[in-house]
Amino acid sequence: MFRFILHRLGMAVPTLLLISVMVFALIRFIPGDPALLMLGDMADAQSLAQMRSSLGLDHSVVTQYLIWIKSVLSGDLGFSISTRQAVLPLLLERFSVSATIVLVAVALATLIAVPVGLFAAWKQNSAMDLGLVAGATLLLSIPSFWLGLLLLYAFGIKLGWLPVVGYVTFADDPLKAITYLVLPIVTLTLVEFGAIARMARASTIEVLRLDYIAHARAKGLSEGAVLWRHALRNAFAPTWTLVGLILGNLLGGIAVLETVFTLPGVGRLMVDSIFARDYPVLQGCLLLITCIYVLVNLCVDLLYPLFDPRVKL
Amino acid sequence: MHHYVKKALYFGVPTLSLCLAALTLQAGEPSLIKVGFNGDIRSTEPGVNRDENSDAFIMHIVEGLVAYREDASVGPMLAKDVTISDDGLTYTFTLREGVKFQNGKPLTAEDVKWTWQHYLDPKTQWRCLPEFDGRGVSKILDISVPEPLKVVFRIDKPNGVLLATMSRPDCGGSGIVHPDSVAADGTWIAPIGTGPFTLGQWKQGQYVELNRFKDYTPRAEAKPDGFTGNKQAFVDRVRFVVIPDAASAKAALLSGGVDVLPDVTAMDEAELKNVPGMQVRTSPVMTLGGLLFQTRDPLLGDVRIRRAVALSLDYSQMVATLSNGLSTVNNSIIPTTSAYYDATAHTGYPYDLDEARRLLKAAGYHGQPIKLIVNKRYPQMFDMGVLSQAMLQAVGVNIVLETLEWGAQLERYQSGNFQMMAFSYSPRFDAALSYESVTGNKDKEPRKVWDNPKALVLLREAQSESVAPKRQALFDQLHTLMLADVPMVMIYNGTSIGVVKAGIEGYRSWPISKPRLWGVSLAATSK
Amino acid sequence: MSAKRTLPAEPARSVEAPARRAWRYPPLNALIGGGLLLILIGMALLGLVWTPYEPLRLDLLARFQAPSAAHWLGTDEFGRDALSRMMMGARTSLWISLLSVSFAVVAGTLIGMLAGYLRGWTDRVLMMLNDALLAFPGILMALGIMAIIGASQYGIVLALGIAYTPSVVRVVRGSVLSLRELEFVEASRVIGNSEFYTMLRHIAPNCLAPLCVLATSMFGWALLSESALSFLGLGVPPPAATWGSMLAASRPYIASAAWLGIFPGLFISLALLAINLFGDALRDRLDPRMRK
Repeated sequence: MFRFILHRLGMAVPTLLLISVMVFALIRFIPGDPALLMLGDMADAQSLAQMRSSLGLDHSVVTQYLIWIKSVLSGDLGFSISTRQAVLPLLLERFSVSATIVLVAVALATLIAVPVGLFAAWKQNSAMDLGLVAGATLLLSIPSFWLGLLLLYAFGIKLGWLPVVGYVTFADDPLKAITYLVLPIVTLTLVEFGAIARMARASTIEVLRLDYIAHARAKGLSEGAVLWRHALRNAFAPTWTLVGLILGNLLGGIAVLETVFTLPGVGRLMVDSIFARDYPVLQGCLLLITCIYVLVNLCVDLLYPLFDPRVKL
Repeated sequence: MHHYVKKALYFGVPTLSLCLAALTLQAGEPSLIKVGFNGDIRSTEPGVNRDENSDAFIMHIVEGLVAYREDASVGPMLAKDVTISDDGLTYTFTLREGVKFQNGKPLTAEDVKWTWQHYLDPKTQWRCLPEFDGRGVSKILDISVPEPLKVVFRIDKPNGVLLATMSRPDCGGSGIVHPDSVAADGTWIAPIGTGPFTLGQWKQGQYVELNRFKDYTPRAEAKPDGFTGNKQAFVDRVRFVVIPDAASAKAALLSGGVDVLPDVTAMDEAELKNVPGMQVRTSPVMTLGGLLFQTRDPLLGDVRIRRAVALSLDYSQMVATLSNGLSTVNNSIIPTTSAYYDATAHTGYPYDLDEARRLLKAAGYHGQPIKLIVNKRYPQMFDMGVLSQAMLQAVGVNIVLETLEWGAQLERYQSGNFQMMAFSYSPRFDAALSYESVTGNKDKEPRKVWDNPKALVLLREAQSESVAPKRQALFDQLHTLMLADVPMVMIYNGTSIGVVKAGIEGYRSWPISKPRLWGVSLAATSK
Repeated sequence: MSAKRTLPAEPARSVEAPARRAWRYPPLNALIGGGLLLILIGMALLGLVWTPYEPLRLDLLARFQAPSAAHWLGTDEFGRDALSRMMMGARTSLWISLLSVSFAVVAGTLIGMLAGYLRGWTDRVLMMLNDALLAFPGILMALGIMAIIGASQYGIVLALGIAYTPSVVRVVRGSVLSLRELEFVEASRVIGNSEFYTMLRHIAPNCLAPLCVLATSMFGWALLSESALSFLGLGVPPPAATWGSMLAASRPYIASAAWLGIFPGLFISLALLAINLFGDALRDRLDPRMRK
């Protein structure tokens, strides 16, 4: 197993490097640089040159890249151009917000969706099954930010039950922190529930048709035991892949949800840093997101044998 | 028995009530006002690594020698008075007595000199250094301290905008700070100013706070007057909450997450003024919004085409839509709230479609597309472009909208690489500074839209001249010249629309547009 | 990129399903999904020739009108008729999605075939690039590309196309890898056909099924992503309308003019629903294991 992990991590390094080059180049090709954005319409040539030089932008792109790589390898991700904060602590802080929401939502969605999917598969083609499938497909089709807006309007503005903006860290005030997280988590859970439920149902249906299930039933096992001990184990694998895919992609795509709910997460940080041309922060974000993506994929693959003993790493 | 009971009551009741009173006073929470900011501040150093929110913030902590009054004229702040020599080269500032820094130390002329030398040091990277080191109108030759409370500045050329430039919020108001604000090795620690608030907690990306400076020494006036006057603070704590998204900010105001929003859009104002418990405070400000032309463009180089565009826009309808009825039309670079906005500045372009068509025909325009750059980040610019396109269709001008991201548009503005652009200038608080932002030599500064040598001469004169009527005459000439040249079409000045919750008293919007939380209090009934 | 909702690898129903029961499903999915899609496409096509009002016509006196007999879906902040803009939006949104998916399919198929067939170093390098592209957050790429070439329809198509190509590459390569070992391919080579001809004639047609299913899903992703991009401030430039930019523009007015936000979101949801249902039906139909 260790060899497997090492091999995968090893393969990830060239990907990381490649992405870092792509990001570095891409952001610098976008017209407008941080100095210009900071000085706005009052920028005269001299002030611009002065500011660019202080930001280290007067070197060639290649030189800038090498300087950056060197500092990354020594653990220093640099400082934000906009706020002069250190990038690494900033990233970790923002990431904890996004991660909380994503993990809780996906966990909740999985915990609810898998039993629901199992149940629907068991009662395949009944009215209940059709209803559940219809519901899941409907939820699947609603854009997350629209749902978020509607929920915000209903519960935040019209009913006033939950706050509509801001964020309180868990450390400061756990109870209040939860109220800020309820709406985004609920939105995300609803949105991901559909896909996971459908996948769980479909893969369970596939498994339920197989011989060994009939065999287990013939042995006299109760339906519950059949479902739980035999069907779930094998049906879970594709669902698990889906969960992994969702997790990996959500971190990049959560920016829109964070905008709707004004959460200080890593998605919005990334988008804001593009608009502000905050190169160090953006580069740091990219590294982080890519690392997470690789790690998530790795974890997903590592946990497979738990569900399907036939799979060897 | 009775005797003791009587004695107990006699002493007990007042003592008990005093205790209760003391307890309630202690139990009373320090008052807090929450203000919505559309971005985090950049740093706490006045005029260094700053943006608009940082400027608004720092002006609560530091004060300069002079500052802008409510009507955008310049008045003394830390100075008791200012005398200018006859040749205009020596400025003598007499400081007020008894002013204390936030670390308890008294304000002296030496501190003023130290601060200014810190600002003028290139290593500090003070934003306004170019205005005072010779690259601008004049250069500060030296700063001397003849008496403990007198500071003398000597400059090399007469400068009519020196005091106005010193007062600029983006220079941090040239706020005087105590030398302990800076560490021994020159790095910035925290601002120790003389203002009504001190720096509180800063949770980066979320909020930044101000605490009331209990030993603040206010000026003698009865009320605040812009950035000067009596700036006594009435609230214990102010929290600037970072809400970058305008729609979320509005939602926060409605649900109690913030108490004050200093700057909402005209559309939001229309909705919020009808909400019970909300008060709207508006004021015209000095931002300039209009359409820029590139006079060196092969097509737009013909003044007839530019003039035709200027004549084809229904300004009153456009401004009514863009500002929801809160602004008025202004075809002059001089903002309507400026003291120099006179009858001449009030003249503009008539709405004359026939004349426009005649001009286009004479210029030989036959429908070639003209690209107008807009961006989505600033809705006013975007809407201005959409409206202009629609209106210009009536005379057959084919406008193609090009939506760029703001950073990209700034780059094109900076390099002059555009045909037309919907743009908004950040406010300049003196008419000469307003003209300076659009006038210049395109070979050296491609971003300047107006390249007329005669205009440049007039501008230089206006910058050196200190006498008001003479300046007015110069501005009149500049405006008439600009109307003829049409290097750009100025459309309107913005409005600062602040919305506060009921219970907040004393908050006012003003032409300089920066929010001010001194003089503002929470009524007893609200939390 | 925002939710890649429908997963192509969802296992189909097993062959043992009795034929009688199976009949109830495909028609329903396909009917509802296909029907909805046809309505929306019809709306888009109709919008090409006729709309109740001119979608770009400003009427500053009739701003923010609630839905009424004159304006079925109300008017927006410039007084433009919302229904007309929705029809125009249908055209633009659907066209952008179609173009991006086509781009991804063409580019991805070419690259996937090359990688799968040629193997060796070509495969390794291409897959490394592919994985990098896959891990690259789509939003960043879209923002970057559009900031460089300016926000235009083609910028979005390019950005989304590039973002989805890696998925196509993976699927195509997977198919090619499994197909190339089959006998008929071997036979083709033995006969003397060139590699290229073998690829084209024998392998390509068999990749079609999974590709179709993926393409249907990607259509939905593209629609969603276009809205998300508009939300973040980079969408199709004016005066064109897309459902996404209409939804984004409605945000400040959610309390006072809710209809401006409800309808675009509703239509996006309906379109996605249609695509999902239709995609399901398609998958059930095309999966070889389903041949009864």
